[in-house]
Amino acid sequence: MNDTLLISIVTFIYFFAAFAFLVSIIFHKRSVGKGALILIVAGVTLQTSAIIIRWVHSYHLGIGHAPLSNFYESLVFFSWSIIFVYLIMRKRYRNDLFGILSSFFAFLILAYVSLSGDLNCTIQPLIPALQSNWLISHVISSFLAYACFAISFGTSILYLLKIKVKVTMLPDALFLDEVTYQMISIGFILLTLGIMTGAAWADRAWGRYWGWDPKETWSLITWLIYGAFLHAHLARGWRGVKMSLVAIIGFIAVIFTYLGVNYVLAGLHSYL
Amino acid sequence: MITSMIHKLQTVFSSIRLTIFLFLSLAATSVLGTIVQQGLPMERYKAFYSPGVFSALKFFNIFDMYHSWWFTTLLVLLSINIIVCTFKQIPRIIRLIFPEKKGVDDTIFRSAQIRKTFQSQQKLSDLERQSETLIKALVGNPAKTVKDDATYFFAEKGRYSRLGMPFVHISILLVLVGGLLGTMLGFNGQMNIVEGGKSDTVTLFGGKGLQKLGFDIRCDDFTVEFYKTGMPKEYKTDLTILDNEKEVASGIMRVNHPFLYKGLKFCQATYGIAGGSGFLIGARNSKTGEETVLRPNLMKKVPLPDGNAFFAVARFVTDLGGRGPAVLGVLLEPGKEHDIFWIFRDGRNNNQQQKGGFVFTLKDFSRLYYTGIQVSKDPGVFLVWIGFCLIMVGFILNLFFTHKRVWVRITGEKGTYECSIAASASKNRGPFEEKLEQLFRKITVE
Repeated sequence: MNDTLLISIVTFIYFFAAFAFLVSIIFHKRSVGKGALILIVAGVTLQTSAIIIRWVHSYHLGIGHAPLSNFYESLVFFSWSIIFVYLIMRKRYRNDLFGILSSFFAFLILAYVSLSGDLNCTIQPLIPALQSNWLISHVISSFLAYACFAISFGTSILYLLKIKVKVTMLPDALFLDEVTYQMISIGFILLTLGIMTGAAWADRAWGRYWGWDPKETWSLITWLIYGAFLHAHLARGWRGVKMSLVAIIGFIAVIFTYLGVNYVLAGLHSYL
Repeated sequence: MITSMIHKLQTVFSSIRLTIFLFLSLAATSVLGTIVQQGLPMERYKAFYSPGVFSALKFFNIFDMYHSWWFTTLLVLLSINIIVCTFKQIPRIIRLIFPEKKGVDDTIFRSAQIRKTFQSQQKLSDLERQSETLIKALVGNPAKTVKDDATYFFAEKGRYSRLGMPFVHISILLVLVGGLLGTMLGFNGQMNIVEGGKSDTVTLFGGKGLQKLGFDIRCDDFTVEFYKTGMPKEYKTDLTILDNEKEVASGIMRVNHPFLYKGLKFCQATYGIAGGSGFLIGARNSKTGEETVLRPNLMKKVPLPDGNAFFAVARFVTDLGGRGPAVLGVLLEPGKEHDIFWIFRDGRNNNQQQKGGFVFTLKDFSRLYYTGIQVSKDPGVFLVWIGFCLIMVGFILNLFFTHKRVWVRITGEKGTYECSIAASASKNRGPFEEKLEQLFRKITVE
């Protein structure tokens, strides 16, 4: 089975999951929410299979490597990471809104993958610089961090809607605030790990762990913004609108670290 | 006066507001360095910016801003901030981790995060048993103390998790110190060596001049493999280190697999074609049309067929005037001047290549590569790795462990015992409190 076809199917599944969660919230139908969860599990199973199929297929082509090496593969893995974080944290939050956010983000990313014409989804051989044991740990920790930040971005937007636009349907503002904080604190640790594995890799590849390359610098900018967020939250007890804005700015920095550097700025990291 | 100044400084540097300010300032200014390319030769900037902008950027050292005085100042302020904050926390953390052999402290039942009290008519032994069960379910086996007609129970768990944050902060200092050492005592640059050639000079990055290594590096061999698509698959260099012409070490350097020597790291960064070494030259007899293939090496003459003339390749260029690779051929005929002429891959319509009764064409050549090596020395790097490991240890201590404490006090007399519970958790208080609430209800209902 072709892995890109599977990904197209998964795109639809995530869309319907998000829709089912929405129905469950609006009409207070818990059973629909359960159905949405089943959809998500089915979707993530298919998506995991697609990733594995692609991995195995690359070995059949004689250029075997983990499917984490170009823009297409990174987007697929990004959406997978969001669902993965959702499934891990689901029990803790027990709120369908968390489900909507995750499945909707995962859907958006995959929809972009499917609709964007110029995305190269063929399996390409790995250039020498990417042939490293650090590739997998670096990419996984970075994208799990991005996934946590994506969810915190969603909850901060909802927080602002709740407070500023007074959308009553949304859950308690305190709950949203708490999820934002928890996702950022986990994301922050994963981002730290991502930066550290990246530094170790850079040291092997270029002989220096840090070179102020734009991608490196932007990852540091992201780290600093979320670091400021955590200090303000933990030590100063700041909450509310101000903090939601910091979380939103933090996610803009994430997007810039992920994409902007490749499209706007030139650097060593322009693989994807 | 001075003490008040010191006090004021201490207040400033122990403030988290300063931390937040420094974090956001570092983030905001760092953006600049990703927009203005760093470390280019000054002429490039001069050509790009108007004189006014150029001198303004130069004044603030924006062209190498991450090493500028003001960026360094921000980092130093952050370091002081971390040191002062950590020192301020240490006494409290020591108290939490190594509590003085107490002495039951009654104040905790008025000040703890979570407090509960109830009256009971049960027997003392029953109450004690229940209290022990409650504490056991929450954190672990309690210690019992009896003092002045009151019975106390206390247990705690995960107090070492309190070390998490100081660990992280001290480790960040280690990383900063390691970075500083690297910048001051290390260097980073590139050297290109042609196959068979040697060099002892590194061109430092950021226009910082040259660095002599004190020994030679010889590129014994360079090999590159390609995928079917033409993309490079792997390239590597066989190196030998020569100290005063004596071979002292040798090894292989591949991408992602550096070669180490005397605290220096040699990384396979790039490669390129420096020239040709062996050549295949077609020599077609103008009269008979018969073609002979000559295999000269650079600067080595080979005889031409039927005659006493010789041919040699004097020079190779990868591209001559946009016409592709070419060699400078030399025709040596006895009793004549040397004839020198360019030979291209394509021999058609080129009278130049018609010499001495032969038409010469360049059929193929073996490429002579140069290997691009990034050389770096960083005496601070071990501090950075230690810092990284400790940061993760700190995060794990902090993320996966919680310092939980529970105290129980039973006072009063038979029939009217009063049972007080106090508890605290360093984080995730919600679930902890919920569990305590459940256990508490169970006791009071009994």
